Formats: sequence, C-alpha cells, structure tokens
Amino acid sequence: MSGASIWIMIIGVSVVCILPRILPIALFSRYEFPEPLKRWLSYVAPAVLGALTALSVLAPEGYINISIHNRYIWVFIPTLLVAIKTRSLFYSLLVGICTMALLYNFC
Amino acid sequence: MQKQELKQGINDSIPIILGYLPLGFAFGVLANEVGMSIIQATMMSVLCFTGAGQYIAIGIVQAGGAVFTIIMANVLVNLRYLLFSTSLVPYFKGRVPTAIGSLLTYGLTDETYAVAMNRYQNHAPTASYMAGLNISSHFGWIFSTLLGAILGSYIGNTDRLGLDFALPAMYICLLVFMVKSRSDLIAALSSALFCLLIGYFAPATMSNLFNIIIATIIAASLGVLISERG
Repeated sequence: MSGASIWIMIIGVSVVCILPRILPIALFSRYEFPEPLKRWLSYVAPAVLGALTALSVLAPEGYINISIHNRYIWVFIPTLLVAIKTRSLFYSLLVGICTMALLYNFC
Repeated sequence: MQKQELKQGINDSIPIILGYLPLGFAFGVLANEVGMSIIQATMMSVLCFTGAGQYIAIGIVQAGGAVFTIIMANVLVNLRYLLFSTSLVPYFKGRVPTAIGSLLTYGLTDETYAVAMNRYQNHAPTASYMAGLNISSHFGWIFSTLLGAILGSYIGNTDRLGLDFALPAMYICLLVFMVKSRSDLIAALSSALFCLLIGYFAPATMSNLFNIIIATIIAASLGVLISERG
C-alpha cells in the first residue's frame, strides 16, 4: 500500500471510529429517554463486561480456546477470587499480571 | 474545571494504560512491519483509538486488501459504540454539556466505558473526570504505539511480563463491581454465553465483534424481563 493510500485509510478509519461514539451523545442528549429504554440501557454495561470478560479469557487470541492449555482460564480463577474478596482493581490487576507472568515463565 | 475530578480520572486511567502498553506496543511493531512509517503508525493511534479496528487494518494491509475493505471492517467493529454511547446519554443529561460530552466521547473505548460506567454508579459524571480518564488513556495508547514503532525491532518477547492479562483482569474486576443484583448477574452471564455461542457458530463475528453487539442486546432484554418478574 502506498504512502498516500495509507493516509487515506487512516483518515477513513478515523471518521468511522468517531461517528458512532459522538453521534448518540450529540443527537440524543436533548431528549429524555422513556423509562423502559433507560432500564434496558442500564443493563448494557453489565452485559458488555460479561461479553468482554468471556472473550478476553476464553478467546485471548481471537478464536475460542476452551482447554487446559489456555493460560488465561487458569489466571482467571485467582483474579476473580481476589476481585470478589478485595473489591480492588489494583490487587486484581496485580494478581492477574503476576500469575500470568509466573505461568508463562515457569509452566 | 474540577481539579479533584480530573485527578480522579487520570488516576482511574492507570490500569487502562497498563493494559494498553503491550497492545499499543504490538500495534506499533506490526504497523512498522507492514510498511507504515513511525509517523503513520503513531498518527493512526492519534486519529483512530480503536485497538481491534487498528489490528484489523494491519491484517488487511498485510493481505494486500483495499482501503475500502479496511474502512468497512471498521464500520462493523466500531458499531458497538453506538450502543455504549447511547447508554451514557441518561448519565450525562443535565450534568455534562452536550458539546463537551460529544468531544470527550472521542476517547470512548471498551475500557474507558467500563471504568466510567463503574464510577457513575455512585458518582455524578463530570466533564473533568471524563477528560482525565479518556485523554490520559488515549495518551497511553499513542505513547505505547510510538514506543512499539520505534523499538519494535530491538525488544524481543514481551509476553513474559504478564501484561497480557492486564485488560482481562480489569474486565473481571469491573464486572464484579458492576453486578449488584440477580438480574445484573443474569445479564452478564447470558451475554458471555451468547457472545461465545455466536462467535462459535459465526466465526466472522469474532473479528468484527458483532457478537458483542448481538449478545448485549439479547442480554439487556433478558435483564429487563427478569427484573420485571421480580
């Protein structure tokens, strides 16, 4: 791909990145959403996080990998326990990263 | 500008930046490998802030695909932000001016969304918090891309540092924070399940992340149904 095409690509991607993020806030902010829609939207965040967690742990390389060879599944267990127990993002990250490093280097 | 809020936002971006380091770095390395200059790689992270979309772009460039294909793939990958951004609207209403809110949602990603939503459960949103969180996360993304594009060829395997688990760990912890009722839990679990099932039966959705959109729509509807039945 030539230098010019790469710049066109970057600008094109930039536009399609920005629009879906900005438009809802820019257009809908003046309206009061009806109560049922608000309630529905309140479940979007837990649902998104459920999906992201599942994908990042069970498909870390972009394809589903549910097997004992998937380190992410093993690291998931202590990280979840620490997250529930401490309710601290810091400790969850610490335990997750350290366990991953240990497994990677020694298993 | 509320200094305390800005500071809190910057503070809350630290785990995000930690997770972005290996991802942005890898993007810089890969971009360099497919023939993008350091400036192009870095500018892509300045103008695009879409991890998955940028990786897909690299893949298509490498396969000799067209610019149009890359842009279309990015339309699909970024569509989920319509949903994320819409779910922020009720929170921003009357608290964050529309113009500023719109500008700051430029920095909306899976991670900044998750962290911000968690904060808004018990704190009112402010433009300052959002600026701190989104802009510093974006800087982290840009900086790690630059680092990868420059140093890529000198540094070997970064997997051994365990940073690959930074973002999953963050998702796990925020999920724990976010689940406050039985219906939240059912929404989260069913979304996880549907997301994997859809990805399994329609593998294309694993790369354009459409599975997240469909799973979220189903799971949020289930959440509402279950909460209504008590």
